[in-house]
Amino acid sequence: MDLAPLAGVGLMFHTMFRRAAAVALLSAAGAFAPADAQQQHLLVITGLGGEPAYRTAFADVARRLHDVATTKWNVPAANVTVLTEDATRDPARFDGRSTREAVGEAFLAMSRRVKAGDVIIVFLHGHGSGQAGESRVNLPGPDPTAADFGTWLSGFTQQTVIFVNAASASGDFQRVLAGPRRVVLTSTKSAVERNDTRFAGHFVKGLESLEADANKDGRVTVLEAFDYARRAVEREYETDSRMLTEHAVLSDSTLAATVAFGGRAASSDPRVAALVAERQALEEQVAALRAKKAIMADAAYEAELERLLVAIAEKSQAIRAAGGTP
Amino acid sequence: MTRTRRFRQRSWRALGIVACAPLLGAWCMDQPDRRAILALAESGRLEDAETAARTAGPTFAATLGDVLVLRGRLTSADSAYDAAITQRAPYARLAEVGRAEIDARRGALAEALARAERLTAAYERDGRAWLPEEHVAAGRAYVLRGRRDARLARQALAAFDAAWAADNTLLEARVRAADLLLDKYNAADARGSYEDVLAVAAEHPAATLGMARVQEFDGRGETMAMVRKALAGNPALTPAHVMLARLHLEAEAYDSARVAADRALAVDSTAVEAWALRAAVAWFTGDSTVFAASRTAAEALHPRPSDFYATLAESAVRHRRYVDGVRFATTAVTLDSASVRALGVLGTNQLRTGAMTEGRATLDRAFAIDPYNVWHKNTLDLLDQMDGFTTIARGRFQLVVSPEDAALMELYLLPLLEEAFDSLAPRYAWRPERAVRFEIFRRHADFSVRSVGLTGLGALGVSFGDVLAMDAPSAREPGSFNWGSTAWHELAHTFTLGASANHVPRWLSEGLSVLEERRARGSWGATATPDFLAAYKAGQLRPVSSLNDGFVRPRYPAEVQYSYYLASLVSEMLEAEFGAAVFPALLTAYRSGLDSPEAFARATRLPIDSIDTRFQRYMQTRFAKPLAAIEAGEGPGDVKGPFVDAMREGAGHLEAKRADAARAAFEKAQALLPGIEPVNGASWQLARLALERADTAAALAQLARITRVHETALAPNLLEADLLEARGDDAGLMAALERVIWSSPYDAAVHVRLAEAATRLGQHAIAVRERRAVLATGPADPLEARYQLARALAAAGDAGAARREVLGILESAPGFEKAQALLLELRRPPGGPR
Repeated sequence: MDLAPLAGVGLMFHTMFRRAAAVALLSAAGAFAPADAQQQHLLVITGLGGEPAYRTAFADVARRLHDVATTKWNVPAANVTVLTEDATRDPARFDGRSTREAVGEAFLAMSRRVKAGDVIIVFLHGHGSGQAGESRVNLPGPDPTAADFGTWLSGFTQQTVIFVNAASASGDFQRVLAGPRRVVLTSTKSAVERNDTRFAGHFVKGLESLEADANKDGRVTVLEAFDYARRAVEREYETDSRMLTEHAVLSDSTLAATVAFGGRAASSDPRVAALVAERQALEEQVAALRAKKAIMADAAYEAELERLLVAIAEKSQAIRAAGGTP
Repeated sequence: MTRTRRFRQRSWRALGIVACAPLLGAWCMDQPDRRAILALAESGRLEDAETAARTAGPTFAATLGDVLVLRGRLTSADSAYDAAITQRAPYARLAEVGRAEIDARRGALAEALARAERLTAAYERDGRAWLPEEHVAAGRAYVLRGRRDARLARQALAAFDAAWAADNTLLEARVRAADLLLDKYNAADARGSYEDVLAVAAEHPAATLGMARVQEFDGRGETMAMVRKALAGNPALTPAHVMLARLHLEAEAYDSARVAADRALAVDSTAVEAWALRAAVAWFTGDSTVFAASRTAAEALHPRPSDFYATLAESAVRHRRYVDGVRFATTAVTLDSASVRALGVLGTNQLRTGAMTEGRATLDRAFAIDPYNVWHKNTLDLLDQMDGFTTIARGRFQLVVSPEDAALMELYLLPLLEEAFDSLAPRYAWRPERAVRFEIFRRHADFSVRSVGLTGLGALGVSFGDVLAMDAPSAREPGSFNWGSTAWHELAHTFTLGASANHVPRWLSEGLSVLEERRARGSWGATATPDFLAAYKAGQLRPVSSLNDGFVRPRYPAEVQYSYYLASLVSEMLEAEFGAAVFPALLTAYRSGLDSPEAFARATRLPIDSIDTRFQRYMQTRFAKPLAAIEAGEGPGDVKGPFVDAMREGAGHLEAKRADAARAAFEKAQALLPGIEPVNGASWQLARLALERADTAAALAQLARITRVHETALAPNLLEADLLEARGDDAGLMAALERVIWSSPYDAAVHVRLAEAATRLGQHAIAVRERRAVLATGPADPLEARYQLARALAAAGDAGAARREVLGILESAPGFEKAQALLLELRRPPGGPR
């Protein structure tokens, strides 16, 4: 398998094959289709607000996710479906009402357009309740349960599924939806955490602002987005001197680390591609050097580190000067 | 007929009938019974009780012994008890335990325990058949044995409960159970048991005294009245006199304390506790003759009077004389190394004086003997937790703080404390001999345990001299307290306590600390409020000569808070009229052992009464206009008058959306109380009205009125910051945000705004501090925060630190392009090509 930098252009949720982590990630990432063929599909479902403030907040999350996917990750509009309590609030962005029936149809439609190796992200937000298979999010009309979502997702065996339930009392979705090639994120650790959650807002903010990009490589992985939101939630509760009543859970951090939101287009210019490759080689040297830090003298380590980092920085400058994107 | 007399008669009747009927058989039917004799004693008629017991003959030897013990005639009591035991008189088992208790009082603990063990062994064999009074005797024996084995408290309680179950008119059983529960820190159950007794006998003196102890345990303010009520029912109740003496002593009412201790000794001259309190009064008032005589008396009663010294230690500590407390407690422990009380007061105050290792070891010993002591357990648990704290030792301070707060405290608190030290040391002409230890707790409950061993303390900070503790900002709601002014306040105590060798009265120490807060920053420290002025106008505040009572004997809940501000005003007045030198002069006078009248006479050359007069003039002048606009309401601090009318009028107009009328009313209210800015008062309403009509300048003027005098005005400061930022007033923005940080330091966005404003103004040192603060708050994007710090360091001219920071960033994120660019920039020679 070629482990060269990805060449997929216009990837939104893209699976990374990075040399530095190749061995660790190979098993998780190896089953994916070639990156250039990979497509991403986003389904956003927000439930009943109950009060004006929640209606606005849920709609705001849906709108922001739509925008970040279509403008920053370049997901084709046809691959984005947004179902909300009231689709008339924003007809340009919202595709319909988030009834159980509409959700089922959205999954059906998605199943017709996905290909093997694609990435599917489902983002669910609202007021949750119930336990285990009966866990649910309050939608207009009958509420679909966690078990219903399990049924709808059961056909996506050839795709990577990222399922985010940012609703309150969402923790029990973990057990119900767990499965291979799936990452399940819930804003709470169990159905007992019933207070309104703050996870969704921070999760979306991390994606919008790229603040979640912990290693500053220009991409935000699912793991980075999750870690960012979790930390931000904790900080918010602490700032408000409130007891933390939501503990977010991620099902598979290894797989989550390989799936990124947004991508970086590889240049077709061979000069740029060569520079990128050289820079990547230098980054691998930094990784190797870091592994030896404990056994090296401080001064020697720092000198070598600085040499490599300066070289990387200069390489980035050269890439940009050559018209590429570092 | 008084209620007391009715109660006594009722008690006689009830007790006589029940005691004679099933238990004692025919012999008692024609004679006074034990309970009737004890009822005499319990009403304070000890002489009559003794006469009745003697008249009743040898079968009442044990009862006679009990009465003699109450009169402090221990040798005679010995004889009576011995006679009862030898003759196998009724209640011989009570005589046995009475004898054991006398042995213990004399320090013959081995003999006491031997007797107690014999009794409990018998009880464990056939106690079920014992009389209710004998169950009580067994319980008392277990209590005695509990001095060496705290677990026996359970058996004691079971025996008292068995007595009560067998005969619920035997009130002594319930009272003793309650006393034991309270001794074991279970105030809730103790209260219930005392209430059982009081439900039967509403004015039962011992139960009333017990309720006083419960109230004291719970920190309620009616303790003294309850003790007096107990004494009204039984004027010979020695423990009540002792408690009254202690309460007076704690309130620094030395004459009253002396009188109460003497009254206790007049009833029972063998009460070591009363001798100890008499000695304590003498020690505080410098009467070495009485002190020595009291000590000699205690030593005559007990060859190793550990409790005598423990009481002295506790009294010293109550007066903030912690080092003396440790000294007395050390003697107490030397005299009885197994005394939990002595070990407790020693360990607790070793910790308060910074001897952390020794204090922990002492409390470990205390806890090993009595694992039920909640103070010791709480403190030891906290010390375990504090093992994970970070210690930052720098300059004249040692900060001990949880790791989460360490960076923030280092950034803000250390410089503030250094500034405070430089301000306070010359003013009070005194310097601590060692680094001041400052402990900061993220949970208020932990701070409370550190201060008093229990949760629930209302204070924000505490000063033990050169060991200070306070709530971290996270311990309370954002904006609910100012952690900078709190730290400054506590450190000021270090100086006033130190300069006076801990002799300064509390009111003056608090007054000076509040004054120093205001001196530190214009918006810090307590300010006048309408309710304070109403209380003043209603005569509900103390004169200078008795201002200490406002702290130690408050008459209503708000009095303590009012007293803080009042004391600061007295301090202000003293400085204004006598110059700044009056404070070191006063503190030196206190240090030399003078009391307040003497100290004021020396420092001001005026009698303290004339200080009272001058202060009244000062208040009338300073608050002339506000006082005219305020009238006292029904209770303390209730406010009426033109000011309140104007505020109500404004609120009414506001609700009816009559903005102009509301504005006029609020302006009127504001004019009535110039310089006084109640929270959410007229200025806040006027600021909001100004914003509604888009008059930013007017809004800012109103907000400034609030933020310049309120140390915790979070919302007004944030609004002021927003408005100033929109106007491009970076200097004003910085000032507002600096104020915000002292009441809410964990908001990274505030630090970012401050850093950006500082950068715009070229104040790079502040920008660096703020960028570090952003990192300390655990930002959402730590690498970005570090990058901004590196930029700020570079802008501040610290290229080396900037380079180290950026290398650290790139080490973990080599692809961080902005940091790469900064690295190259930092390597570029000055003036070189970009």
